[in-house]
This record gives sequence, structure tokens and C-alpha cells, in this order.
Amino acid sequence: MTMKTTIIPEDQKIEIKEEIKRKPTIGVYALTSCYGCQLKIATVSKIIEIADSVDIESFYMLSSASSMHKKVDIAFVEGSVSTKKDLEELLEIRKNSKTLVGVGACALQGGVQSWNHGDKNYKDLFENVYGKSKIEISEAIEAKPIEEYVKVDFRLPGCPPEEEEIIYFISTFLFGSWPEEKDYPVCQECRFAGNICLLIEKNEPCLGSITTAGCNARCISYNVPCIGCRGPVPNDVAWFDSLAKVFVEKGFTEEYIRERMKIFGSHHPKLEELLTKVFGGEKK
Amino acid sequence: MRYVKLKKEKIKEFLLALQDYGELYAPIKVSEKYFDFRKITNEQVDEVVLDYNRTLRPPRRFFFPEKEVLFTFNSKKVEMYENKEAFTSEPVVLFGVHACDIVGLRIMDSRFIDDQPDPYYRARREKGIIIGISCLPDEYCFCNVRRAEFVDSGFDLFLSEVEDGYVIRVGSVKGHKIIDATENLYVEVTKKDSDDLTAFDVKKSKMFTVSGNWDSLRYTLELNDEHPVIWMRESEKCLGCGNCTITCPTCRCYDVKDYPNLDGETGVRVRIWDSCQFREHGLVAGGHNFRPTKESRFKNRYMCKNAYCKEVTTAYCVGCGRCTYFCPAGINYKQNLIEIRGGI
Ligand code: SF4
Ligand code: SF4
Ligand code: SF4
Ligand code: SF4
Ligand code: SF4
Repeated sequence: MTMKTTIIPEDQKIEIKEEIKRKPTIGVYALTSCYGCQLKIATVSKIIEIADSVDIESFYMLSSASSMHKKVDIAFVEGSVSTKKDLEELLEIRKNSKTLVGVGACALQGGVQSWNHGDKNYKDLFENVYGKSKIEISEAIEAKPIEEYVKVDFRLPGCPPEEEEIIYFISTFLFGSWPEEKDYPVCQECRFAGNICLLIEKNEPCLGSITTAGCNARCISYNVPCIGCRGPVPNDVAWFDSLAKVFVEKGFTEEYIRERMKIFGSHHPKLEELLTKVFGGEKK
Repeated sequence: MRYVKLKKEKIKEFLLALQDYGELYAPIKVSEKYFDFRKITNEQVDEVVLDYNRTLRPPRRFFFPEKEVLFTFNSKKVEMYENKEAFTSEPVVLFGVHACDIVGLRIMDSRFIDDQPDPYYRARREKGIIIGISCLPDEYCFCNVRRAEFVDSGFDLFLSEVEDGYVIRVGSVKGHKIIDATENLYVEVTKKDSDDLTAFDVKKSKMFTVSGNWDSLRYTLELNDEHPVIWMRESEKCLGCGNCTITCPTCRCYDVKDYPNLDGETGVRVRIWDSCQFREHGLVAGGHNFRPTKESRFKNRYMCKNAYCKEVTTAYCVGCGRCTYFCPAGINYKQNLIEIRGGI
């Protein structure tokens, strides 16, 4: 067999080179949230290096020229869907991005604004907070994680996310690979850090064992038990039931345990099922 | 072997002298219940605790750190650059290591030096100095049934408590050199001291809550895999938090991860301690998982520590009690092993 050599015409060659060289375009967007995730991204120590290696098409906190109608390679979306307008924007962002990264507790778990999810019907909840007043800009709907509406390609957790992980995500994209999801709990990093165990020694309601690692056990390192801001460990290894039993033995009530686990875990599909194993069917 | 005696009042001077041999780490009290090996400066020698129960983090971390850069790479040049840190770092002088933990380090050696030589581990280990200390067991300890309550090797110096001080047994050339250089600190060992050592041994052996040895656990676990009640009942309680493996002096598992830099070309490859209690530990290409359930992961640790042992003459569990003491779910490993053994 004779070898065939493919000769690439000169003009095409240049095009290929440019395609490779082109910087990825990114957009940073916010739905209903505190804008803390964007602030965190904007203030990472390597932001200048990041700005050099990507083309920032939109960044709502930094530029009024931002638009969700621009096509981008990677969209970073913070915030939960809490209004009809959020939803329209989210769908538009998804449509215009090749890769979508959910950023922070609101986007990924609905945030504290959905703490009450499943307890009250939305109308009552709304009236509790706003009375009879109306929201002018858009119709309010129950706060939900973005994943309930669109496909999320990668999840960058935290409230706000950690600098180390923000850089890790962008670096892996630039490298042509992708960020690996952590599916082990905060306890790992807590023990690495040489912290004492607040749950064992101080009987504090630490959620570290059911919460996604990545913060280097930030709170426990300051002697504060974890409240689970990074969300339940993914891939069905957040054992709400086993931890609830430990909490019961330490004297916490069912109500307290459920409330605490719901702050950042109310939308977790297994939460109620696993708590029911411990407390039985009827919520008290 | 060579013996000298260090009087209690000379301990501080001894610790200060050790500073000349590298970075000194020794157990200190870090909370109501816990101790940890921490770096000791000259000002901190008074904080060193000689009669601690067990440390929060195991000694292996000084030779096989929790997180370690293996190399940096440049994917464009297709080159990698070794991390020289392990070869250039100060030696670690680890003071106050219990016998079980010394056996733990020997188990680590068997895998990281004898079996699959690891240059970083080896470099740190070879220059490191281990100073053992005698101890009395609490209710979590069962090193006796693991044949790890006494060591004849694996240390440079070993301090055994007598009434008014410590009899130091010299275990290596490095140990000899330390003693030579600090000769003025010691006195002769007397007949009374040697009697004290025997009395200490008798006292210690009476304090253990279990006796005999548990070598047959291998057979019980491997030949007669019929403990589903235990696996089910106990793994239900388990949080999958990994504390039992992270605190264990003999866990060897690690994961390897790449962290690229923002230039899209260079980066670092890091190894991080892994735990078989985590889902990803058993995950392989194609999404298959060798241990897909919490129960199978829970059982794996019991098997690894008690049955999957090779290269050394003891089990991989040295009976230090950490995995019970530091389990947030209060799972009692020692009690479970007794149950597996049929209550004995
Ligand atoms: S303090 Fe919390 S995070 Fe740390 S080991 Fe204990 S349970 Fe885990
Ligand atoms: S310790 Fe818990 S609450 Fe604190 S930052 Fe980490 S995940 Fe969030
Ligand atoms: S398995 Fe438990 S008791 Fe045995 S050596 Fe490890 S931590 Fe210690
Ligand atoms: S398999 Fe589990 S128990 Fe065995 S060494 Fe690895 S982490 Fe430790
Ligand atoms: S320390 Fe206890 S709860 Fe955590 S993984 Fe080990 S056995 Fe399970």
C-alpha cells in the first residue's frame, strides 16, 4: 500500500492555526443571588492572568456591555431561578454557551432562599415574606437550582466558591481537559488540617461528613461547625440518615436536624427519603 | 544493645538537643481529648506530652504527606520535572512514637520501600529519626493481640519509663551518634531500673482488655465470609467520612490528580491520600465500581486491615484504636472484631 500525503492548502492551514490559538470566550452571569460568587471570581489573585488567557465576553458585575445574547464557549452562572425573568435568562445563556458551569450554592442547591422548599406552598411562603406586595420586574416563582431547568455541565460549589477551585476550573478548560468533581466529604480535609472533631468532642452539629470537600474545612478551622454550604456530597454518598442518627444521640431534635440539613440541601432528591428512614413518615 | 538512662529532669534538655538533628515533631495536647504530633520550637519543649493516648494524625504523614507534588510538567515540550523537595528537606525527628505506630511505619516501609520503592518516601524515611516511647493502653488499644505492643527495631532511640526517668535503648547508628553527642545528659542504668522495666511490662499487660492474639482473623474473614449482620448493621451507621483510614497509621492509598496552570501547557501532578470509604476509590474506567455500596466499602477496610496482609509478619492493623476513637459515628471497630471472632 502506498502512503498518501494530504496536502493542506495554505489558507486552510492558517485557519486551523487560528482556531487552535483562539482564546476561549467566557461569560459570567448572575440570576437571583448576592453577587458574591461573581465578586469572588473578580477578585481572585490571578484575575489578570485569567483575563489574559480568556476573552471575557460578559461579566455582569464588571461591565455594562455584558449580554446574555452573546455566544460563549463557557458560561459561569451564579444564582437560583427565582423569577420568570431568571428562567428566561438562564435558557438564553444555555442556548448561547457550549459549556455551562453552575457556580455556588444558589445555582447548584437553590441557596438559602430555597431553605423552605417542600415545607410550605409557595404562595404562603411568598405572603409570609412580602405580604400583599407585588414584584414589579418579573413574576416571582419558587427558588430552584438551575439544574431543575437546564443541563449543567460542571458544578463549582461553595458559598462563595474557593479561589483555588475557580482557578482549577479555568485552568483545566484551558488545558483542554475538564474539572474533576469531588465526591468525598469535608471531613477528609478537616482531618488533613489537623482540626479536632467538633462533632465528637464538642457535640456540635457539624455537617462536614455529608458536605462536598473543597474548602479545606474552612469553618471547622475557625472552630465553627460546617453548615454544609458546599452542598451534599454528590453521587449519592451524602448519608443524611446516618448523620441524623448521630445527631439524635447527641440530643438534637428532628426539627433542628431537618432544618439544618435543608439550609443547603433542601432540593437533594434523597434528603427526605433518608430522613424518613430515621424519623418515620410523618414530619413533626 | 546499648542502654543509657535519662532522668526526668533532663527531658527538656534532651528535647532541646534533638533540635540539632532536624525538624522536631512531638505529641502535644490540642484539645480536651486530643493529641497531635506538632512541630516543636525551642520555646515549646515544655508542651510536649510524654503520656498521651494517641495522636489525631498518624506518623506516616511525615514521610508520606497528605498532599504532595510528584512533579511539574510541560505538555508542549513533553517534559516533566521531578519535585526535589523530599531530597532536600530537613530530616524529621519524630519524638514520642508508640510501639504500635513504629510497627505501623514498618508496614508502610514494606509497601513503599520493599514492595514498590517510592523515592520520596524512602528519602524522607532514611534521613528521619524515630524516637519511641513506652505507653500504657486505654480501653481503645489492642496492640497486644496484633503483636505490636513491643518493638525491637524501627527506632533510633526508644524511651521506656522507669520510676525517675527513662531507660533509652539505642536502635541504630544514628541513635548511637545522638547519645554520643549528648553523653552528659545520661546516667548509668541500675538494677532497680531493669526491675522497673519488668514491672512496667507486667502492669501494661494486665491493662489490656483483650488477650491472646488475633492472627486467625484472616481465616475467619477470608474463609468464612459470613458476617452480613455486622456489615449491614455497622455500615448503616457509617458516614463514609474517611476518618478511620485517614487517622490509621498504616493506610497507604492515594489518588493522583493533575492541576494545570493558566498557561494551558504546564501544571503539577499531585498525590493525595485516598480512602476506600470514598466512592471514587473503587471507580475505574467505564464507570464500573468495585465497591459500589457503602456496605462493600465498609467491609473492605476490615478486610484490608485484618486479612489482606503481605510483606510483613503482622496484620496491617496494629491495634492503635484511632479508627474507633476518631469515628464521628461512634462505630467500635475493636468491638466489631471481637464479634467477628465469635465473642473472644
Ligand atoms: S469536625 Fe466536622 S468536618 Fe471535621 S471531622 Fe468532625 S464531623 Fe468531619
Ligand atoms: S466548612 Fe462547610 S459551611 Fe464552611 S465553607 Fe466548608 S462547606 Fe461551607
Ligand atoms: S485499623 Fe484502626 S486500630 Fe487498626 S491500626 Fe488502623 S486505626 Fe489503628
Ligand atoms: S484500602 Fe482502605 S483500609 Fe486499606 S489501605 Fe487503602 S484506605 Fe486504608
Ligand atoms: S470513621 Fe466511622 S463513620 Fe467515618 S468512614 Fe470510618 S467507620 Fe464510617
